[in-house]
Amino acid sequence: MLQIRNLRVSVDGQKILRGVNLDIQPGSLHAIMGPNGSGKSTLASILAGRDGYEIEAGSITYHGQDLLEMDPEIRAREGIFLAFQYPVEVPGVTTMYFMREALNAVRKHRGKEELSAGDFLRLARQKIKPLGMEAGMLKRAVNEGFSGGEKKRSEIFQMSMLEPTLGILDETDSGLDIDALQVVADGVNALRSPDRAFVVITHYQRLLNHIVPDYVHVLGDGRIVRSGDKTLALELERRGYSWIVPASGQAAAAGA
Amino acid sequence: MPAGIASASLYLERFSDLLDRTAGEPSWLRQRRERAMERFLSMGVPTARNEEYKYTDLSALAGGERLLGLQQPGLAAIPPAYVGDDAKAVWFGEGLAVAGFAQAGVRVMSLREALLAEPSLLEEHLGTIAVPDQHALCALNTAFFPEAAVVMVEPGTLAKEPVHLMFGDGMGGRHPRVLIVAGRSSSVRIVETYSGAGSFWRNAVTEIRATANARVEHCRAQFESTNAYHTGVLQGLQDRDSYIGSFSFSFGAKVARNDIGTRLDGTGCECSLDGLYAVRDSQHVDHHTAIDHAAAHCNSHQLYKGVLDGNTRGVFNGKIFVRRDAQKTDAVQSNKNLLLSDKAEVNTKPQLEIDANDVRCTHGATIGQLDATAAFYLRSRGISAADARNMLTYAFAADALDRVRVKPVRHHFKSLLLARFAREDG
Ligand SMILES: Nc1ncnc2c1ncn2[C@@H]1O[C@H](COP(=O)(O)OP(=O)(O)O)[C@@H](O)[C@H]1O
Ligand SMILES: [Mg+2]
Repeated sequence: MLQIRNLRVSVDGQKILRGVNLDIQPGSLHAIMGPNGSGKSTLASILAGRDGYEIEAGSITYHGQDLLEMDPEIRAREGIFLAFQYPVEVPGVTTMYFMREALNAVRKHRGKEELSAGDFLRLARQKIKPLGMEAGMLKRAVNEGFSGGEKKRSEIFQMSMLEPTLGILDETDSGLDIDALQVVADGVNALRSPDRAFVVITHYQRLLNHIVPDYVHVLGDGRIVRSGDKTLALELERRGYSWIVPASGQAAAAGA
Repeated sequence: MPAGIASASLYLERFSDLLDRTAGEPSWLRQRRERAMERFLSMGVPTARNEEYKYTDLSALAGGERLLGLQQPGLAAIPPAYVGDDAKAVWFGEGLAVAGFAQAGVRVMSLREALLAEPSLLEEHLGTIAVPDQHALCALNTAFFPEAAVVMVEPGTLAKEPVHLMFGDGMGGRHPRVLIVAGRSSSVRIVETYSGAGSFWRNAVTEIRATANARVEHCRAQFESTNAYHTGVLQGLQDRDSYIGSFSFSFGAKVARNDIGTRLDGTGCECSLDGLYAVRDSQHVDHHTAIDHAAAHCNSHQLYKGVLDGNTRGVFNGKIFVRRDAQKTDAVQSNKNLLLSDKAEVNTKPQLEIDANDVRCTHGATIGQLDATAAFYLRSRGISAADARNMLTYAFAADALDRVRVKPVRHHFKSLLLARFAREDG
């Protein structure tokens, strides 16, 4: 469903991705690991369509279309969902209103009828319950004053509402206690299906005990330096990154 | 600077006509008009040379509106009576009409009716709250207002329904005048709307007297044609334990200048002066506020928000005076601006004069753009760039709009706001 070919990206003249290649098939779950600063969030942002990056070379094809030509909202309607590493606070806009607008935009694009207010609320309550959040959260401004854990759960809630084809989770596990981690993992596992794929970016192997990946990739110095199965994650947990990503971080910091 | 020869002779001519037409007025009123006329002639229409009008040059009006070719406010699509079904709407057409108004304890009268019914209350208040001596435009209105809407709330009345004063086509000519007197321990909500098509200059003055323990919630909405000049004064005078809330919604006019102030003259008073201005293309909007803390233990709040698109300019100047005896004053002022275009400009300035020592006065001003990160977040969920922009713009204004106390009015403002800045693209 998604092919990334030789993707090279820089920000303010600093090279961040230096030739990423990745193929994602429907139904698969890919974990991307790597040290801080290796470009994981950059890759996620590029997929979601954030601007401010310079694409120097390469291509991304999503369901046969040139993804890089699509606006962020079109990507979302076509089924791409990014759970942000740092979810954004939007004061003055309630989660309820935001999600209803989003869901109806997505449904319309997919040729489905818009949901009535009542149907929307029923659906939202149904989706929010297993995440261990109160329905009252829907009335609060998007992410405003949410704890770190609440923000991450809210991302999963949004994902389960929008039912993406490709879900990308950027460090959704960071900073979560074990209960919250389980809730997030359950939320992802409940969405797994043969026509849906996931990219789970994480710094820690721990999450992958709960969300079992088909593939594990290590991003180092702007490239995928190794790919393997779930045992690779365990090895990384034991040995750290330095044996496959020599002098990682330093190279990026030096702008080399 | 004094009015020029051409405009002075024009104004004198018209003043003499007015004196003929209003020959039946009591002598105190004539004296106030004559004095105001004198004051206006010596001050003239303010220009940018006047520090108070540094950013809002009204010299285009100095020749007098007839020289400018400005008309009376024309017939515009008058906003629907959105105050609500049970609202008491009072329409002002040519001259002044009081239609279908009946609410126990609340009287809405024309100047003539009020002069007959409440001569001494009128003499006490009309032209003594908004004082023309230092204010040329207030002086001009005082000299020329042909009519007035007088709202009197009986002591102890808690008026359930808001009073809606509508200034549509040509009411009170160019100088609409409103006097609101809230009796002891009464409570009332009043909405004034100003609309009109064509090129004109409207120069409105509203005076509010809140007597002891009275509560007046006032909302003034201006959606005049973008060829119009709007100058407006709103001045309150508060006795002990009273409250005045003012909301200024400034949406129309080519140039709008609002002077909004109140004097907290007894202990335990409170006021909120709030507003929202939303302009586009080449509109210009200026709010000057002045809160006079003359007594101890009074609180004042101000929240003015602006949304500016296109080539617009917004001006906010907030004066807070704390007199020597006004100990324990608590004054909070905030002005926040959202620029939707890089050609829009804002000049914002707090001006605090504090002569008491045990007070808390805070102020803050911001000028910012839409949060690009938030816009991306919304779009990443499938919301179009235009909708994201609208949502964030509305979200910016929402806490100011929450201060509009009449619900249908609040909703009307919201829809106007959203329609105003809606764009097809990003
Ligand atoms: N918007 C940006 N402006 C400047 N530098 C950036 C920006 N985004 C990322 N970077 C830099 O790119 C590198 C990769 O960052 P990021 O993709 O966030 O890494 P990761 O998510 O793997 O920790 C870092 O060196 C970071 O400082
Ligand atoms: Mg990251």
